[in-house]
Amino acid sequence: MSTLLRASGLSKRFGPRTALAPLDLEVGAGEALAVLGPNGAGKSTLLRLLAGLARPTAGSLTIGDGAPSRTAQRRAVGLVGHATFLYPTLTARENLLLAARLHGLSSPAERADRLLAEDRLEALAERRVGALSRGQAQRVAIARALIHDPALLLLDEPWTGLDPRAAERLSERLAALHRAGRTLVVVSHDLARLAGLAARALVLVRGRAAWLEGEELASETQLVAAYATRVGVLEARA
Amino acid sequence: MKGRNTLALRVTGLVLVAFAAAWAFTVWRAPIDATQGPIQKILYVHVPVVLGAYLGFALTALGSGLYLARREERYDRFAASAAEVGVFFATLVMITGPLWAKGTWGRWWTWDLRLTLTLLLYLIYVSYLLLRSFTEGSERAARFAAVYAIAGLAVIPLNYFAIDLAGGRTVHPENLGRGSLGAGMGAPFAWGMLTALAAFAHLLVRRLEVGALQAELDRRTLDAPPEDP
Amino acid sequence: MNALWAVLWKDLLSEWRSRDRLVAMVVFALLVVIVLYLAAPPGTGPDAHRHVPGLLWVAWCFAGILGLNRAFAVELENEALAGLALAPVERGFLFLGKAIASFVLLLAVQAASALAFALAFDLDLWPVAGRLAGVAALGAGGLCTIGTLFSAIAVRTQYREVMLPLLLLPLLVPVLLGAVRATSGLLLEGSLPWPALQLLLVTDGVFAIVSFLTFEVVLDE
Repeated sequence: MSTLLRASGLSKRFGPRTALAPLDLEVGAGEALAVLGPNGAGKSTLLRLLAGLARPTAGSLTIGDGAPSRTAQRRAVGLVGHATFLYPTLTARENLLLAARLHGLSSPAERADRLLAEDRLEALAERRVGALSRGQAQRVAIARALIHDPALLLLDEPWTGLDPRAAERLSERLAALHRAGRTLVVVSHDLARLAGLAARALVLVRGRAAWLEGEELASETQLVAAYATRVGVLEARA
Repeated sequence: MKGRNTLALRVTGLVLVAFAAAWAFTVWRAPIDATQGPIQKILYVHVPVVLGAYLGFALTALGSGLYLARREERYDRFAASAAEVGVFFATLVMITGPLWAKGTWGRWWTWDLRLTLTLLLYLIYVSYLLLRSFTEGSERAARFAAVYAIAGLAVIPLNYFAIDLAGGRTVHPENLGRGSLGAGMGAPFAWGMLTALAAFAHLLVRRLEVGALQAELDRRTLDAPPEDP
Repeated sequence: MNALWAVLWKDLLSEWRSRDRLVAMVVFALLVVIVLYLAAPPGTGPDAHRHVPGLLWVAWCFAGILGLNRAFAVELENEALAGLALAPVERGFLFLGKAIASFVLLLAVQAASALAFALAFDLDLWPVAGRLAGVAALGAGGLCTIGTLFSAIAVRTQYREVMLPLLLLPLLVPVLLGAVRATSGLLLEGSLPWPALQLLLVTDGVFAIVSFLTFEVVLDE
């Protein structure tokens, strides 16, 4: 498995506050990585650094084999944030068109329609995003993040606020993307859903990192137990 | 925190006291101006504080540019400190200027080119400090403030042309070349400038020290383990 | 360049859907006209319209700042601004898209309120309409370039509606002085003073360059 993302000593400080302590991270192409940890551990900061929204205080980051420029980085990454990044007064289709044009795609309309079809969103295409449910808006947000066919898809708490059916549907969608070879990095507290999806997990506790892999992610019970142990160890060290 | 790098503070403090003494003595001994009378002695305060004000703004722009280029906190602290010291001096300019104007021109304020430019610059830097205090997060405040300082710098020459265009009649003396000072006025003027520079350096060092201590305090507070409930 | 058109299209389309920003700006500009008329009614004689250019720009400038305040408020909902910042482009082009959208809106507001001024102050603007539109556009250009940059900053501070005019007004002096001067020349003497136009052109250029280059830094997190 080739390496898609390589970060070394990646860190972010906001003035005196350390949002992410220096972190070494490698993600293989096609891998699904879970990022776990209590609130304030720096999980969202990590995603926003990987997406090129925030500038790291120190450390290096390369994604793909592209030059490490910020625009190349943003081209390689799609981000599904905590918020949807969608304009409520525009329709789902218009939001996708905007994203396609921002990425300079050659035929934005076709690309938008293709992504709408991929997640069977055609019926919602002409509805304004402000009138969509949380689950529907989330599906449009995922389509938005995939508009430029990024090698790496980052998701920040994607199951939060979804009803059980929408959550199940999201799990299926992510599994399908993973099977199709997309690299995923998913930040979540939902250990049950992550156990089925990811083969490796990064645990962040107040800037310290540990890894879970193999058997530890085989089932929800095993993951919950392994996670609790790691957090305990990391907190004791902190 | 006892004994933290007070050498710079002591040196600038001593220089300031020595210069201020020489300045006070020469001002006291300086001749009374034949046309303006004793009010002219405010020159020995007014022009030196103008120097301090402009120096502060120049250093703020310099620190801001360096911060945007290198993204190191110390440049931001330098810019913020220079702005505060600059605003302090500019406030003195805004107090001594009108006093002198009332005494010699008969009115507190005129919309003269230099007066207006200085007032606008003063307002820009007051807004700069407001922006800093109304922005949450020191890293974001540093970025926003640096952008504002650079825009403020870019606007200075534009303001110059604008006010010139608006016909700002100049009553303010154009420059204070050596020849324009009467006999015996050179020494108090020179000591005034040196004292202003020393005062500026001392205040800046003091403010930088406070900034460094504040940053250290923030770091320690944040790094301390949270207390158990 | 694609990104510029995309942002412009998005801003104008959503404005067309709601029209709330445009309506607010026009109503506000008209209210300012009324208040200014009541506070400083024109006298009689040759000097009667001496203050009109200044009053006109007060109305335009206030309406412009009102609109600029909204320009980035809409980007905060659903964190849409992060969506823009994710675009793999030179962020200066995002800035230009936002600035041009605000500029187009302000031009419409200027046209409507110029009409109101002509009626209230009994001015015949028709013979100078073309040149007045040129001056209005030059002034609006300066206001919308630097205004867009600091709108992006002000929305992410506390007291954001208060912050924008505090940041902007001290920087707008060359724009306002140049614009008022040019408008005075046009309305009172019937000719455009070249130095004032030069000042406006140079200021617009400087503001556009500074904003284009620093927008990257402003959009970072």
